[in-house]
Amino acid sequence: MHITRTGTVTALGAVTALVLVGCSGGNSANNSSGDSTSLTVNTSFTIETADPGNSYDPTGNTVAKALYETLVDFEGSDVSTPVPGLASWTQNDDATEFTFTIADGRTFSDGSPVEASDVVFSLERIQAMTEAKPAFLLEGLSFAEVDDSTVTVSSETPKLALPALLASPALGILNADVVAEHGGSTDGEDTAQEWLDANSAGSGPYTLDSIDLTSQITLAENPEYTGEHAPGYSRIVLRNVSESATQLINLKGGDADVALDLNGDQASGLGDGFTVDSVPSGQTIFLLVNQDDEVGGVAASPEFASAVRTAIDGDGLLELAGTGSVQATGVIPPGYSGALSDPVGQDLDATAAALTEAGYDGETIRLSFPNDYPVGGVEFTPLAERIQDQLKSAGINVELAPAPFASELDAYVNGTEQMGLWFWAPDYADSTNFLPFAPGLKVGLRAGWTAEDNPAIADVAAEAYAASSTEDRDAALSDFAAQMQESGPFIPLIVPASNIATADSVTGAAYNSVWTIDLAELAPAE
Amino acid sequence: MTSSILTPARARRRRIGAQWRAPLGIVGAVVALAWILVACTAPLWVPYDPVAQGLPRLQPPGPEAILGTDSVGRDVFSRLMAGAGVTIPLALLLVGCSVVLGTLVGAIAGYAGRWVDETLMRITDLVMAFPTVILAMVIAASLGPSLFNAVIAAIVVSWPQYARVSRSIVLSLRGQNYVIASRLLGYSPARSLWTDILPNVAGPILVLASLDIGTAILLLSGLSFLGLGAQPPTAEWGSMISGAMENFDAWWIGVFPGLAILTVVMAFNFIGDTLRDAFDPLARAQSIAANTGETA
Amino acid sequence: MQKTAATRSPASPLAGFLLRRLGTSVLLLIGVTLVTFLLTNLVPGDPVTAALGEGPASDPATREAFIQAHGLDKPAPVQYVMYLGALLTGDLGRSLTTGQPVVADLAKAIPATIELAVAAIVLSLAVSLVLGTLAAYRRGMVTDQVLRVLTLIGLSVPTFWLALVAFYVFFLQLGVVPGSGRISPSITPPPTVTGLYTVDYLLNGDSVGFLDALAHLTLPVLVLSLFTIGLLTRFVRTSVLEVLDTDYVRAARAKGLGGWRVVSAYVLRGASLPILTVVGVAFGALLSGTVLVESVFSWPGLGSYSYNAARNLDLPGIMGVGLVVGVIYLVINLVVDLFYAILDPRVRLS
Repeated sequence: MHITRTGTVTALGAVTALVLVGCSGGNSANNSSGDSTSLTVNTSFTIETADPGNSYDPTGNTVAKALYETLVDFEGSDVSTPVPGLASWTQNDDATEFTFTIADGRTFSDGSPVEASDVVFSLERIQAMTEAKPAFLLEGLSFAEVDDSTVTVSSETPKLALPALLASPALGILNADVVAEHGGSTDGEDTAQEWLDANSAGSGPYTLDSIDLTSQITLAENPEYTGEHAPGYSRIVLRNVSESATQLINLKGGDADVALDLNGDQASGLGDGFTVDSVPSGQTIFLLVNQDDEVGGVAASPEFASAVRTAIDGDGLLELAGTGSVQATGVIPPGYSGALSDPVGQDLDATAAALTEAGYDGETIRLSFPNDYPVGGVEFTPLAERIQDQLKSAGINVELAPAPFASELDAYVNGTEQMGLWFWAPDYADSTNFLPFAPGLKVGLRAGWTAEDNPAIADVAAEAYAASSTEDRDAALSDFAAQMQESGPFIPLIVPASNIATADSVTGAAYNSVWTIDLAELAPAE
Repeated sequence: MTSSILTPARARRRRIGAQWRAPLGIVGAVVALAWILVACTAPLWVPYDPVAQGLPRLQPPGPEAILGTDSVGRDVFSRLMAGAGVTIPLALLLVGCSVVLGTLVGAIAGYAGRWVDETLMRITDLVMAFPTVILAMVIAASLGPSLFNAVIAAIVVSWPQYARVSRSIVLSLRGQNYVIASRLLGYSPARSLWTDILPNVAGPILVLASLDIGTAILLLSGLSFLGLGAQPPTAEWGSMISGAMENFDAWWIGVFPGLAILTVVMAFNFIGDTLRDAFDPLARAQSIAANTGETA
Repeated sequence: MQKTAATRSPASPLAGFLLRRLGTSVLLLIGVTLVTFLLTNLVPGDPVTAALGEGPASDPATREAFIQAHGLDKPAPVQYVMYLGALLTGDLGRSLTTGQPVVADLAKAIPATIELAVAAIVLSLAVSLVLGTLAAYRRGMVTDQVLRVLTLIGLSVPTFWLALVAFYVFFLQLGVVPGSGRISPSITPPPTVTGLYTVDYLLNGDSVGFLDALAHLTLPVLVLSLFTIGLLTRFVRTSVLEVLDTDYVRAARAKGLGGWRVVSAYVLRGASLPILTVVGVAFGALLSGTVLVESVFSWPGLGSYSYNAARNLDLPGIMGVGLVVGVIYLVINLVVDLFYAILDPRVRLS
């Protein structure tokens, strides 16, 4: 049977060759990603386009931040104090008119200077595109060019939040001439998105090299960049890796230098050779208890919501979220003005009393949540399991109804969930972004909570919106947050950490709640 | 088609084979029975409630929890044992449903012939024109993720093979004298199908079914792994493995459920393989040929 | 193996068979479009919200525009006709998850999966021809029994679990294979010719790229192959056994012809037809396996695409994948049948 043996040997040889090639290939891959001029970032992609004017997704913001610059900027993780970006500004006493002066010597990637006309073009372009996702940011604003380097922005109503808002990467400044040449316009007939999906025309530290919205985006250094954060790498590759476990593996194995979506356990288990930047993100994970009798049934009362609020053991939930996460103290997360200092805390006697008041007698409550959309690395499924367990000990029976984000979103938005586990992320870095939790407003209505249900809170929210001085506004916001914890249908649970993990060969990584990470701040370690 | 004449050489080989094969079947039967016993009795003797979260999180295997704890502090061993009671009965149920449905459709098609046959067989062709996991996944996702819907999806993709086999057997029997005689005696087609034909279909179908139990377990746990089957906090093997992906370093969360699936599926495959040999060593060649010849 | 009555063409039986076979395939193709369409109509969720995101979806005007643009307000039969009409012009719609035309998405995903599947089929066939022949020659002996147990184990391993374990052990612990994806991040994809990275790198004369792409193929291919090796080995064994029992092989062996010449000239040739058939089946098993394996290895192929589409209620995406997979399946079976007809004249006349 010598013949068959030869066959076996051939087959084994083939397998061995394949494996050996695997070895050598693997090693070379590891070596090349250690190359100091190239950086690989792993993240779970949420991006629809590289055109900042049409984009409003986390990954879209990260990319836009690297390609384009905004008038206003934030430094590192601090989103409470806007600082000059492309321009510095002054404002009038009513907070209705802002004057921006563009810094000297700033240039686009083709070498041409950044001028006032580029600013007006970029912002008016977005305003004109009614279907563009960031268009709502610019509602009620108008822009006027004063001279080559000066622009005024006027608002119909007082807008203290304007500088923070203009820091949104979606409002990045485009090279007007180049974009207009490729179909860009401010009359609503803009067709430049297609071109901007393959090219960039900004003044940011990087330019767009290649893009595949489902797998990877490659950025190249912008040689014409004249700003503060000079690019640290000649090339940055963002890879779409949807599983946080795979990101962890890639990071550990040297296939990635930066991982953006690790959960707390993964980040804290990284060990030597890696650096983790864990800061509370601006996002809040909360429970909602529907107040509409038709939907909520026996759960539809502020008393029931309060029973749930006092039944939750915050530490037990925080344990699942891992390093860097903190307990939510209210609908406004820590770090934003108006945030409360302490969480409610578990009080099972109060729960029992509230349950009696709510007329609850062991009925099963349905808890819906998205199960494929971790927020700040916190998986919703174990969190919901833990909540179910805690509420069970407090005498509240809950059944879990997980569903993919895409199919559950509708029920949440339309307020048809009896109980829901969701999250809220601010659209831009300002506390007014948490006012929609008020009765009768966007998020409030998702809990079936109308303005008539609680006129007092509705009034406080309106007051905070209309304030034209920082003091009035902050006072209204604190009052709002306190009353929400007292009698609202929401139970804020966790402000998850954002864990940015980097190999020690990379420095400068800092989480920012608006654009996740400023790629321009990254540089090779010495 | 192959001849079924038993040449002396073949008879001798089969004897040699039989000595070796029976132990494999016995091993399979013992392991399968052990798992079924676990499935029935686990709630009575597991050390912890499989959904309770009383233990510290992510504990490696040790005296307190012999297979460690998962990411919310549940006992992996208790969940593993409880998982048998979820997957095995459902797999048996879904194979049973597929067998009944498929055999009936195939028998009716084969017996009725003409347009009934044509229509039914084109439907089976259509279902078989898609890879099973992809079709089952799309159906399960469309119906909404739940264990019940995953079973429905698995039934939809697995009945056609039984239809194929039972149809081909019925076709070959339809012309046999005793079947024709029964018709001539005035018995109704239904009775003829029931008493003369189905008993002959039973053997090959049972062999196919015994081999299909393993496939059913793999399919169900695969759907659960993708989040389209069992939902939390149910202790199901596939979803336990997908939970392990979040905590790679806690290897014990994922390794043991995988071994559980492997051993159960292997046990049923050993049984099925032995049964098939007992019926006819060449049955598989024929059944596969019958299955694939008309796939397109 | 066509069981329908043969309408014999007097000119050429092969041409007649071909036509008949093609006719059935076209009918099935229409059936496939119907099935994919019906499946997506089962979906209970709201694709509008899923596609637009929560903000725009709450705006009635945007909602209405979306519904109009996608024909979602029309009755199902009208939608089906619209779908077929668009299909004929090569338009599969725009994916709701990626925002790209489904055709463009599939054009990228298909080569990735083909590369994986073809490599796995080639490896499986090579290994199983050897192992299956070996088992048949040693029928009843220890080698045969060991192979029998091994192949049964191969058929029993949950693929998704094996993928995870292999990934953990070979990439993370031992570091002998590269991580997820088709190529290392530091390497630029080759200019697209075939879409198969290994082939495109070779055509481009880029050996570094080729080795890197091949290295990334290794682990997913090995994981995917285990099941098909089990399946094919058992089938090769049976087929070879049948041929060994035929008179001409026994005569050849009696004449003293031994070893490789008998295996290649008589045995494998005789067993090639049934083996060919089962390759079609194995390919189907592979496509099923890709869903689970691709999602573990972040392989941007049809498997991950269909999973994402199904999870996100991306109707155009689901329909596109269903159609493509159905067509791939039909074509493979058509090709297998045609080979059969050419190699074995009895088929045409049956």
